Amino acid sequence: MELRTKEMLTSMGLYALLVLLVYHLAFSQVDSYDVTPIGAGLLWLAIVFTSLLGLNRSLVHEKDQGCLEALLLSPIDRPVIFFGKAAGNLLFLLIVEVIIVPLFHFLFLQNIEMSGAVWMLALALFVGSLGIAGVGTLLATMSVNTKGKDFILAVLFVPVMFPLLYAMVAALSAVITGEVLFPGEWVGEYWRALGLGAGYDAIMLLIAFGLYEFIIGA
Amino acid sequence: METSGGLGISLEVCGLSRVFGARRALDGVSFTLPEGAFLSIFGPNGAGKTTLLRVLSTLAPPSSGTATVLGKDVLEDASKLREHIGLISHNPLLYPDLSAEENLQFFADIYCLDCPQERIRELLSAVELDHRCLDIVRTFSRGMLQRLSIARALLHSPEMLFLDEPYSGLDPHAVDILDALLARIRKRHTFVMVSHDLEKGLELCSHALILAKGKVVLFEERNRIDVGEFKGLYRQTVGMGVS
Repeated sequence: MELRTKEMLTSMGLYALLVLLVYHLAFSQVDSYDVTPIGAGLLWLAIVFTSLLGLNRSLVHEKDQGCLEALLLSPIDRPVIFFGKAAGNLLFLLIVEVIIVPLFHFLFLQNIEMSGAVWMLALALFVGSLGIAGVGTLLATMSVNTKGKDFILAVLFVPVMFPLLYAMVAALSAVITGEVLFPGEWVGEYWRALGLGAGYDAIMLLIAFGLYEFIIGA
Repeated sequence: METSGGLGISLEVCGLSRVFGARRALDGVSFTLPEGAFLSIFGPNGAGKTTLLRVLSTLAPPSSGTATVLGKDVLEDASKLREHIGLISHNPLLYPDLSAEENLQFFADIYCLDCPQERIRELLSAVELDHRCLDIVRTFSRGMLQRLSIARALLHSPEMLFLDEPYSGLDPHAVDILDALLARIRKRHTFVMVSHDLEKGLELCSHALILAKGKVVLFEERNRIDVGEFKGLYRQTVGMGVS
């Protein structure tokens, strides 16, 4: 369906570009600025905002025409529906990241030399995005039947995601400015933060797997 | 298990209740339906008809009591049961941005059908939509949507079909097509239909049930029903209000 409409990818991509544009406008108001120390936080902020937009729309096609009921009537297990939806959300988020991360680097980080390799950056982004897609899909399913679903998803999402975001900002900071912030220790700091993020993902995905049957049927 | 007429039982409901907060949408519903029967469920708005259909089709769990459909418990054997049931609702349950054929292909994949293309062509022809098979569903009229919805529900050849106001919003041509389809598959299926249309419901059914305030007011075989008395009783239950 997304291949036909490209609704989610277009809206998420455009929104992410707009967020970067706003960052750029805000920082260009001062003569000289260095966003390096807060670069990781800014990037995750853009990713979280963008993912909220996508998550809000992830069950809209099913909800609008009652297709969710057709899926629930089919002989597939509820957790399979969860993994399908979460995989879709993860894929869209990764596609958007492929566009915005190089652009973010071009706009804000082109004058610095990153401490870590590109694969370390990609791994941190993947671990963070996996948690966002998994927990976000669960929360989007919970909020899809509520009156103010957009508002409720945003209110639930950020507090629940806080431990992951905290860890992933630390991991990304280590990759971007590790040598400056934690001289000699940034690799250990990176793996510690990544481990925390991966642990959070594993626990939350297991909880989502266990709860999805009740939540989608409610 | 067999009924007194020697037929197997396709649907057995025993003390079924469904509670939403303080409201009892279903309150101790019990009845038994033989194989190949066509049950029409009547009742005023809010009587619990759709809730009963949702519980029987595994979309909502019962709060208490049991329901066995085709020998499978709606709670314990829900996943297996779903392979054998279909639902036609007033909601089309179709993806509006996919074509008719793509919608059926999607659900055929979910049901892991053998030779889905053949089955899809057969059903699109039966609902007279073969000439629109590549068109996006969003462009379909209400009648066409309902016809495609019927094709979707019949895709996996379910043994039991639940129909929730299937005639609602259909033009006479679409009504004729639905009638012809139901007549064609009548012998091989058991039907449970929720309807407000007394004439249509009684014309089709082998058994009739009146529900009011979540309780069974009447459950009877069609050939034992006096239409005049039945209509009187129905009018009375409409005055009883909702659950």
